[in-house]
Amino acid sequence: MVPSRRAFMTGAAALSAAVVTPDAVRAAEAMAATDWGLVTADVEADVAPHAMRLVHGRAPDGLTGALYRNGPAKFRRPGRSAEHWFDGDGLVRRFRIQDGQAGLAARFVDTPKRRQETRLDAMVMPGFGTMPDPRAEIGSPDDASAANTSVHLVGGELWALWEAGSPAVLDPGTLETRGFKTLRPDLKGMPFLAHPRIEPDGRIWNLGVGGDQAMVWRLAPDGSLEDASVIELPRASYIHDFTATDTQLVIVLQPWVRTRMVMPFSAGFEWKAEEGTQVLVVDKADLGKRRIFELPAFGFFHLGDAWRDGADIRFDVCAHRDMDFAARGAQQVVNGVPLDGEPARLAMVRLGADGRASLERTDIVGEFPRSDPRRAGLERRLTIHTAGETPGRPFASGIGVTDWSTGRTRGFDFGAGHVVDEMVFAPRPGGTAEDDGWLIGPSLNLTDRVTELHVLDAARVDEGPVATWRADVALPAAFHGTWTS
Amino acid sequence: MLRLSAAALALTLLAAPAAFAQPADASVTLTFETGARSGRVMVALYDSEASYTSGSPVATAAVDASGSVVAVFDNLPAGDYAMKSFHDVNGDGQMNTNPFGMPTEPYAFSNNAVGNMGPASWDRARFTVSGDTAQTISIR
Repeated sequence: MVPSRRAFMTGAAALSAAVVTPDAVRAAEAMAATDWGLVTADVEADVAPHAMRLVHGRAPDGLTGALYRNGPAKFRRPGRSAEHWFDGDGLVRRFRIQDGQAGLAARFVDTPKRRQETRLDAMVMPGFGTMPDPRAEIGSPDDASAANTSVHLVGGELWALWEAGSPAVLDPGTLETRGFKTLRPDLKGMPFLAHPRIEPDGRIWNLGVGGDQAMVWRLAPDGSLEDASVIELPRASYIHDFTATDTQLVIVLQPWVRTRMVMPFSAGFEWKAEEGTQVLVVDKADLGKRRIFELPAFGFFHLGDAWRDGADIRFDVCAHRDMDFAARGAQQVVNGVPLDGEPARLAMVRLGADGRASLERTDIVGEFPRSDPRRAGLERRLTIHTAGETPGRPFASGIGVTDWSTGRTRGFDFGAGHVVDEMVFAPRPGGTAEDDGWLIGPSLNLTDRVTELHVLDAARVDEGPVATWRADVALPAAFHGTWTS
Repeated sequence: MLRLSAAALALTLLAAPAAFAQPADASVTLTFETGARSGRVMVALYDSEASYTSGSPVATAAVDASGSVVAVFDNLPAGDYAMKSFHDVNGDGQMNTNPFGMPTEPYAFSNNAVGNMGPASWDRARFTVSGDTAQTISIR
């Protein structure tokens, strides 16, 4: 679990190579002494609601709401352990900000997987990168769900999403699990990605992927099903995320293609760089109207919201060199080993009305892209993203806001001792500008072994947090979240 | 990510004559706890791993789900058996599946056994019948 000191020093050296200052050296030394394993540590019990302690600044006036987040937080049991970062049990966290105070509660999603594995005291379920154990009892895909990838408030319910099964339904107040969501009896157990695209009026579009087919889900803002139709995909790519304009679904098909039906899931994929990346565009109003674009090969997990630019389509992507992180890196990460992988860098895609597509790469290191939800599917200029990953450090240490109109990124680095999670945009009540609001998200302070919650002014990110609170606990890094005011 | 074989789960509900080589004085009573009261619970009983795997039951039953749902199999030779069932909630005679082939109607096996990405194995579902034997099966 704990990496070698040498591996640490290598990573720390890379971090401090740019600017070697006494501070940087001290930070590097601190890193070397830090338990990196905290990032994928096991949480043994739910976290009762408790107040967080304000340690910096003050809460902005008018900021009230809750940040719900989800991520894996139980990987190891005496009888057997998960072998991949994506296969730990989902722990739903709620950071609430109200009256200038912040509070934290967290509760594991009470899945059939977790119940079985608790009973056996062994992680037995098959996963993204974990082989099934013969003891596993799996009668449906939902039985294997880790419910660990994202979380959304839909019609008064909190949905903990995975990507190979149904949404798990939680009570947003108590975080208690109520069961799985069946959107229509004949669609029970259909997959539902953890990255729905939500229009500004609340309508939800999502995919559920099975090989070279995808279910296109369309839900009303209250979560009721409006339509579910299966479409054919040109190839059986790994699809973690897709994007959408106001009128089109944009499905990016990377050349990490499922070629074998083997376990674990990730072992069935092959990187076929020579086949490039394809983009399938489908009209929301007529799923039969489709176009396919060709791009150079890149790997990805996450896309930014798309928009129409005249008759063209634009969207940003956190482009990886390949999918080595999914195939190999995330297995090493769960064992506390820093990678020797290239971090993702932001890129902008343009799909031309003339059928030609372009990928404009940048040098900006970024992952977990977010933007103003009021502009989903509409023209925007800003992308919020994590920052600071290096080959020796597979987790972010900072946050950035990149302005595509200028190419400029404003960012803040919390330092090598922090692992920074995805941050979301919370608009200032009454404000309309794209940067009139706050970035809200946690970091894991490795030095002090505690989870922190930060609020930054979206227009002045480089000035650092306007408020920081500390929890009583250190929660492992998580994946995705949602802000609700 | 996970694939269950609907075909493997689907029951072959053919009436199969049983050849009794020993006294057939045992019985099995299966009481089903259902989540819906429509349609019928389709039950198939097997007396060997071979019959279980190939889907050649020694006896079958189709029990209306509107009342108490009990399937009784009498006049069985003592021995090992296993049961497969599904609840045909909409009464169309099929075990319905979603567009990706996963079952959408409840199904169950004896011992309330659960498979591992497929039907429960004979080893998990097998139970010994001698005299009057009863099980309560949750099929939801």
